Amino acid sequence: MDTPQTHQFKVIGTRPVRHDGLDKVIGRAKYGADYSFPGMLYGKVLRSPYAHARIKSINAEKALRLPGVKAVVTHDDFAPQTTAPVYRMGGEAAVNPLYLASNILAKDKVLYAGQGVAAVAATSPHIAEEALGLIEVEYEPLPIVLDVLDAMKPGAPIINTTIRRKERPDEETNIAGEFQFKRGDIEAGFKSADIIVEREFRTEMVHQGYIEPPNALGIFSGDGHATVYTSTQGPFDVRIMSATLLGLPEGSVKVVPAEIGGGFGAKLTVHIEPVALLLSKHAGGRPVKMVMTRTEMMRGATGPTSGSVLRVRMGATRDGKIVAAKCWFAYEAGAFPGSPVWLGCFTGLSPYNIDNFLVDGYDVLVNKPKTSSYRAPGATNAAFAVECVVDELAQRCGMDPLDFRIKNASREGTPSVMGPKFPRIGCVEVCEALKRSAHYQTPLAQVPGKYRGRGVAIGFWINGGMQSSAIVNVHADGTASLVTGSVDIGGSRASTAMVVAEVLGLRAEDVRPAVADTDSIGYTDGTGGSRVAFATGLAAYQAANDVVRQLKERAAKIWEISPEDVDWIDGKAVSKRNGVAPLTLKDLAPRLTRTGGPVTGRANVYATGVGPSFAGCLVDLEIDPDTAKVQVLRCTVVQDVGKAIHPSYVEGQMQGGTVQGLGWALNEEYVYDEKGNLRNASFLDYRMPTCLDLPMIDPVMVEVANPGHPLGVRGVGEVSIVPPPAAVANAVSAAVGTRITDLPISPPRLYRILAARHG
Amino acid sequence: MNRFEVVTPRDLPNAVKLLSGRNHAALAGGVDLLDLLKQNIVAPQSLVNLKGVGAMDAIETDESGGVRIGALVKLSEVAANPTLRERYGAVAEAAAQAATPQVRNLATVGGNLLQRPRCWYFRHPDVNCLKKGGDRCYAPGGLNRYHAILGGGPSFIVHPSNLAPALVAFAASVKLIGPGGERTLELERFFTLPRIDPTRENVLDTGEVLIEVMIPAPAPGAASAYLEAREKQSFDWPLVSVAAIVVSDDTHLIRDARVVMGAVAPIPWRSHEAETALRGARLDSSAAARAAEVALKPAAPLSDNGYKVPIAKALVRRAVLRAGGIETA
Amino acid sequence: MAKKQLVETTINGEPVEFLCEPRQSLLESLRDILGLTGSKEGCLTGDCGACTVLVDDRPVCSCLMLGVEARGKKITTVEGLAEGTKLHPLQQKFLEDASLQCGICTPGFLMSAKSLLDRNPNPTEAEIRYALAGNLCRCTGYDKIVRAVMDAAKVIQAR
Repeated sequence: MDTPQTHQFKVIGTRPVRHDGLDKVIGRAKYGADYSFPGMLYGKVLRSPYAHARIKSINAEKALRLPGVKAVVTHDDFAPQTTAPVYRMGGEAAVNPLYLASNILAKDKVLYAGQGVAAVAATSPHIAEEALGLIEVEYEPLPIVLDVLDAMKPGAPIINTTIRRKERPDEETNIAGEFQFKRGDIEAGFKSADIIVEREFRTEMVHQGYIEPPNALGIFSGDGHATVYTSTQGPFDVRIMSATLLGLPEGSVKVVPAEIGGGFGAKLTVHIEPVALLLSKHAGGRPVKMVMTRTEMMRGATGPTSGSVLRVRMGATRDGKIVAAKCWFAYEAGAFPGSPVWLGCFTGLSPYNIDNFLVDGYDVLVNKPKTSSYRAPGATNAAFAVECVVDELAQRCGMDPLDFRIKNASREGTPSVMGPKFPRIGCVEVCEALKRSAHYQTPLAQVPGKYRGRGVAIGFWINGGMQSSAIVNVHADGTASLVTGSVDIGGSRASTAMVVAEVLGLRAEDVRPAVADTDSIGYTDGTGGSRVAFATGLAAYQAANDVVRQLKERAAKIWEISPEDVDWIDGKAVSKRNGVAPLTLKDLAPRLTRTGGPVTGRANVYATGVGPSFAGCLVDLEIDPDTAKVQVLRCTVVQDVGKAIHPSYVEGQMQGGTVQGLGWALNEEYVYDEKGNLRNASFLDYRMPTCLDLPMIDPVMVEVANPGHPLGVRGVGEVSIVPPPAAVANAVSAAVGTRITDLPISPPRLYRILAARHG
Repeated sequence: MNRFEVVTPRDLPNAVKLLSGRNHAALAGGVDLLDLLKQNIVAPQSLVNLKGVGAMDAIETDESGGVRIGALVKLSEVAANPTLRERYGAVAEAAAQAATPQVRNLATVGGNLLQRPRCWYFRHPDVNCLKKGGDRCYAPGGLNRYHAILGGGPSFIVHPSNLAPALVAFAASVKLIGPGGERTLELERFFTLPRIDPTRENVLDTGEVLIEVMIPAPAPGAASAYLEAREKQSFDWPLVSVAAIVVSDDTHLIRDARVVMGAVAPIPWRSHEAETALRGARLDSSAAARAAEVALKPAAPLSDNGYKVPIAKALVRRAVLRAGGIETA
Repeated sequence: MAKKQLVETTINGEPVEFLCEPRQSLLESLRDILGLTGSKEGCLTGDCGACTVLVDDRPVCSCLMLGVEARGKKITTVEGLAEGTKLHPLQQKFLEDASLQCGICTPGFLMSAKSLLDRNPNPTEAEIRYALAGNLCRCTGYDKIVRAVMDAAKVIQAR
C-alpha cells in the first residue's frame, strides 16, 4: 500500500534552500520595524509604576504642549467595550474585549507594573519618550498579591471584583477559572498501588524571549479604513481585535504581515497595534510607528507565561504499572483571566494510559502581567511535575525510566485525558528511539570532583488544526506561486511550497511562496499551535490538487478526450485512452491561454484530523559542587514528526524548543520585588542561554504518519519545549541525590540544595 | 533619554576644563553611559568625547618593567595583548571573560573601572535608592541575591568591574588628571566604600579624568590566576570572581601572595587575611583551603546571598592553587 | 534641542555623509536616517547582538555607539557582506544549513562570524562559540548556526 512512509517523494523530505532565505541573509527582508512612510510619527506608551492602583486622574496638557507631540490617547479613546466574547483561532479562543482593551491601556485601575496607561505620538521616538515624562498621572496605590497560593486564600487583595466561582456566587475571588478531568476511581486506584510518590513543584513566570520587539505601524485613513503593518503571528487576529477596539467593521481594517522576528505564541494577540491606529486617528491620519523597548516587553506588556504551583501524587504497582494519579495545578493568569492551566490539565498525564485519575486546575489572578501563549502553552509546567514524579516512580520500582514509560505509554485507542481515543500516535516510538539512541546506549562517565547525572523525560502536545486558505497560480513559464495567509516564522514558506511542488511535479524552487495581507487571501488562523505545515500545508495540498484537476481538463481538451480519462501521475497528465506522451505542468503552462485561460487553484480548509505529537529529551549534565553551576554536556531530542517535509527546519524546531526548555530549567525566571516590580527586565538580567552555554543538540526524528493528513504530517513546532525542564531536573536529581522540585535550577537555588545534602 | 550635545575636546586639558563644567559627562566606550542615559538614570547636558583627544589608547611597557595601559584601551585589546597575557595573566583573563565580544570591542579600561553598579534597584528608573541620593538601600530588606557579602552598608552594591580585582592584585595605580593637576593613586585606594559616601564608588573628583593604569613589574616568580563563577558563560556578570597572585619558588614555598575578590563587596575586596595565611606556607590544597576560610571569615551575607560565601571560598582556593601552578578541578 | 551634527564616514566601502541628533545611536542612524534596515534592533542595550556591525573590522553593537561616533570610521553592515550578487560563504552556508528560522538575529550573527573568520579561518567549535557569545538566538538553539560557521570556514580554507 502506498503510505506516506513508503511513498517515494521527490520533493518532500529534501532540504532545499528556503525561498525567503536570501533576503534574510543580505538584510533586505522587511520586518515590522523596517517599514517607514512619509510624515510618519512615532508612538510610545506610558506604563504604570504600580502593581495595583486606582487611576485618579490623567493630565496630558504639558505633554501636548511639547513641540513635536501630535496626539495623546488613553483607554477612553477606544470604542466602548463590553465583556461579550469575540472569537478567534477558528472559534477556539474567546477574547474578552474589555479585558483586552484594559490590558493595553488601563481603565480606571492598573493591575500590574508595566501596564499601559496612556500613549503619545510625536515626530521622533525621543520626543515621544520625553512627552511620557510630562503626562501627570495620579495613582491611589492598592494592596497587591503576587503569589499564586496567597491569591487563592480568603481575604487576599481582590484584583477583579466582578469574578465569582460558580459554587460561591457571593464571594469575591481571584480564582478566575476551574477545570477538572477525571476517570475511574481515584481512591481505589491508590489503594491498589504498592508505591506512591507525592510532591509539590514550583515554576516562575518565564518570557518567550523572541529577539524582535513587538512593533506596529498604523495608518488611519479618512475614509474609515485602517491599515496596520506589524510583525504578528496572526494577521487575522490583529484584524478582528484592532477593529473591535477601534469600533470599526472587521473588513475595514487591513493587516499587512511583516516578516516576524520570533513570537513563540506571544505575538498571536495584539499589544500595540490598536494603539498605533488610535494614535494615527488622533493625529490626523498620519502613519504612527511603534516599537516596544525590551524593558516594556519584559515587564509584561506582551505577556510572559505562567508561573505555577503543581502538586502531583501518583501510584504504581511494584511491577511498574501506574494505577492512579492526582494532579492539582494552580497557574498564574496574571492580571486578567486566561492562563493555559486547562492545557496543562489536559496534557500532563496524556503520555500515559492511567485508569484512575483526577486533575484539578485553577486559573488565578495575581498582580503580574496578563500571560500569553508560549510554545505548547501550559504543557511544560505540567510535564515538569508529572515527569519528575514518573521518574521517581520508575526509580522506586527499580525500572529503567524509558521501560517504565513504555509500559505505561498511551497508544492508538488509549482514551486521552479529555476522553476521545487517541488516533495513531508515536509515544512508544519516541521512547524506543530514545532508548536506541547512541546517547542512551553510552553510559555517562563520572569524573572526580564533579557530580554528573543523566535525565530523561517525555512530553505531549495536542497541536492545532483550524482554518487556512491557499491559492496556487500557474505561470506561463511552467512555474507556480503559492499565496497563503500564514506568517512564516521558521521555514513554513518552504514547507508549504514543497507540498505544492510535490503535487505539481515541480522543483521546490519553481514554486514561489508569498504571505498575503488580510485583503488578499481568505481567512487564515494564526501561525501557532504547530498548525501551519499541517493545516496550511493541507490547504496548499488541496489548492495544488485543484490545479491538477484543471490541468487534467486542459490536457483532455488538447487530447480531445474526456477529463475522466486523464490521470495525474508523478506530476504528469497521463491519458488512460491512447498512447500520447504525458504532459507535465511545464508542457501545459504555455498552452493555458489557448485552452481556456489562466489556471488558479484554491482551497479553504478547516483542518480536522490533527495528529498530536510526542517528544522526549535526554540530558547529561555536570555540576560543579563548589559553584553550583550546571553545565549541559550532551542533549538528544527525539520527536514524532509525522512526516518531515523539510527535515532541516523540523530539526530546527526540535533544537530550538529544546534550548528554550533548557533555559527555563536552568536560568530563566521573572524576579519580582515585594512591590510587584520586575527586577530583571532586560536580556542581561533575564538569563537566556547563549551558544557558549550549550553543546550541540542532537535531533532524532521519528516518523509515525498522521492518518488525518494525506501526507502524514503532524505539527512539529511546539512539543520539543515540553520535556527538557523535567529531563534536566531528573538529571540533577540523579547527580546530587536530592529530588529537584523548583525551577530554575540556578546556582543560588541549587547551592541551598547542595548545602542541605552535602554540608 | 534627555537631549544632550556631544563635544570633542582638542586635548586633555580642554577635556578637563569641559568636564569641570556643570552637568558634563565623559564619553569613552559609552557602553555604560549610554545604558544610564537610556534608562534616564543620568541626564547630562553635554557628553565630552574623550576619544577625540587622540591619546590614552596604548599599552606600553615602561623602563622599570611595568606596563601602562591607556584608559581608552579596549577590553579586547587587553585580552589579546601578548605582554599582558604572559606577565599579567589574570588581567588579560579578566578582560577576556567580560561581557561579550561586541562589548569588549567598545568598552574601555577606564570605563570598566568607572562603570556604575549593576544593582537592580539602582538601575530601575523609578527607584530612588541610597546610591541615587535617596534615603535607603533596598537590598537588605529586598531582593539581594547578587549583593554584597563583604564591606556592605549602608549600600550593598557589588563593584561591577571584572578588571579591578586583577589590577588590584597586581598593585596597579591609576593616573588622574583634573583641574588641580595630575595625581597618581594606588587603585586599591581609588575605590571607596559606601560608608564613606554611598552615592559613589571611587574618589574621582568632578572634572577629573582617569587617563592611565600603571601596573608595576611583577615580582620574580610571580604567577597569577583569575576565576569567575557565573550563571551564564556570556552576557553576564560573575557571581564571584577571584584574582590571585602567588610568588613562590620551585618547592612551592610562598614568598608572597595577593588575593582579591570581585562581585562580593562594593569595592574589589582584597583579603589581607588570606595573604597573611599564605605567606611563608608551602602551597598545597590545605594551605589554599585555609586561605579561603580566613578570606571569607568576615563575610556577613544578607538574606539571599549566603551561597556566595562557599562559592567565594572555592574560587579563592582554586585561584591560589592555579596561580601556584597546581591545577584543580 | 542640541543641534544636528554632520557625520562623514565610510559605510560598506562608500563615503557617506549624514545629519544626526547627538542622542541618536549608530543603529538609529543606519536604520532611520540612512535606510539601512538590515541591522536589527533587539534590545537597544547591547544585550542581544542583533544590531552588530563591524567598526574598523571589529564587531560592535551599533546600539551602544552614538551616530556621531561613526565619524571617520569604516563601518560594515550586513548589506555590505556580499560582493554584488555573490554571497559571502557564511551567507551561503546559513542558507544551506537552515541556520535561520525567524531570521532577525541572522545579520548580527553573520557580522560576528565574519569578523571571526577574517581573523581565524580555521576555528574550533569552542572558538566559534566564544566568538558568537555576544549574539542571542531564540529559534535555533545555535546548533545549525555553529555548523554553518564551520562549513563556511571550510569553503574559505579551500579557496
